[in-house]
Order: sequence, then structure tokens, then C-alpha cells
Amino acid sequence: MADVTVVGSGIFLRGSIQGEGDLEIRGRVEGEITVAGEVTIADGALVKADVTGRRITVRGAVAGNLTGEEAVRLEGGARVVGDVRAAAIGIADGALLRGNVQTEKPAAAQRTTVRAAGARLERPAPRVEARKAAAGNGASRRGQAAEERPAPPPPVVPALKKGTRAALRKRAR
Amino acid sequence: MASTVISQGITIEGELTADEDVLIQGTLKGKLVTKDAVSVESGAVVEADIAASSLSVGGQIRGNVTAKDRVDLMPGGRLIGDVKASRLTIADGASFKGNVDMDV
Repeated sequence: MADVTVVGSGIFLRGSIQGEGDLEIRGRVEGEITVAGEVTIADGALVKADVTGRRITVRGAVAGNLTGEEAVRLEGGARVVGDVRAAAIGIADGALLRGNVQTEKPAAAQRTTVRAAGARLERPAPRVEARKAAAGNGASRRGQAAEERPAPPPPVVPALKKGTRAALRKRAR
Repeated sequence: MASTVISQGITIEGELTADEDVLIQGTLKGKLVTKDAVSVESGAVVEADIAASSLSVGGQIRGNVTAKDRVDLMPGGRLIGDVKASRLTIADGASFKGNVDMDV
């Protein structure tokens, strides 16, 4: 394992990690992680960073966006708060995720995100249809409620001040 | 096997705090503080101040170095910066520029 970079469990890193090669994180990292190889965030790790890699496997806690060129896998015990984007996304039973999920290649990404607040999902459920089906039959009550409820509409802000339209009409006359 | 490895091709920028040994083969910029040993291997580039229990230098360091126990400059090692340690060895073939403080 010569070219695997390991951030051990007794480590606290504030800053950025970047470059070629694989990366395994068992400690705490705050900042930014961008590597060309595989990223493994081990059980017990605490990452507050946006993570970019070819394949990302999460068993620990992440606060930040995960972007995998090929795949992102959230294993059991993973806790992720942030957006997940990859060509293939796997969420195992027992993984917790709050954020947007997008199963497309990051380069060809379109904004077709799905809200997955508090969802506990059976794998394989990366696709939107599968997710909805899972929510329909037997997801946890909280997850179901979160799934059924559509994303809240954007706040209604009156474009014109109250009475402006009437004033305009009066002026037009 | 060190518990933390910064392998070749990887660049870490920032502040690294550890209570375990660290092996550096890649690039580190910023600051490194650990309670255990640090090994900067041949090919590694470190632009950081280092505080550790012991330090072995086979690569390149630019920065001040503090070791509770010892600093070893290996053949081929290159250190530009001040050293504060209770023991220091400089092997034949190592290059070093800086002050030494050994609490005489």
C-alpha cells in the first residue's frame, strides 16, 4: 500500500488534501479534499470538507459535498450531510444522508436533484423512481413523510408593493 | 507502518495535528505538530514547521524543526531551517542550512 495516503485516527488536519493516488481518512479533516484516486472515509472519521475523487466510500461522518467521478458508496454507519453527486451512487442500509442526490456524471450534470431529507434507503436505490417506490412501500414513517411531501415552494414575494398595481392602473387611465 | 502516511503524489496544505507517527513521502505545506515520530522520506517535499518527538529527514524540508527527542539528517536529506532538539545527527551526504539549538 505504498501509494495510499492515510490520515490516521489521531490526526486533525485543517487545510486541503490534493493530488494523485488513493486516500484513506480515519481522523478529522476540515477543509477540502480533491484526489484523483479512491477516497475511503473510514468508520470513526469526521470530515468537514467537500470531497472529490474517482470513487468515494463512506463509513464515517461527512459534512460536505461528495463528488465521485465514477461512484459514491455510503456504507452502513455512514452519516452524510451534503450533496452527493456521481455516475453511480450506492446507499447501503443503515447509511444516513441529508442532502441532494444526483446520479449523473458530474460533467454532464443537470439540476434534476431530489430531496432525500432523513431518508433511510435500501440499496440499490440511487435512481429517483426506485427511491419513490421505496418510500411508497415500507420506508420508515419519518422518511416516508419526508419523501411524500414535495419540496417546499419558493417563498412568495410580491413583485410589486401592495396597491402599486391599482396606482398604475389609475395612472394609465 | 506508520499510522498516517502522506504518500507520493499527494499534497497537503494546512495545519496537521497528530498524536501518532507520520510518514511523509509526498508534499506538505503549512504546519505539522505531532506527539510521535515524523519521517520525511526521500522524494518528499516539506515546506512546514515541524514539531515532533523525533524527526528523520531523508527528503527536503524548508522550515523550522523542533523535536523533543532527536533529529536525524539522513544521507540525501536536505534541511533549510532552524533545529531545536536535544540530539541531532547529520549523516555524510546530507545538506543543512540553519541554526542549531541543543540546550547545552
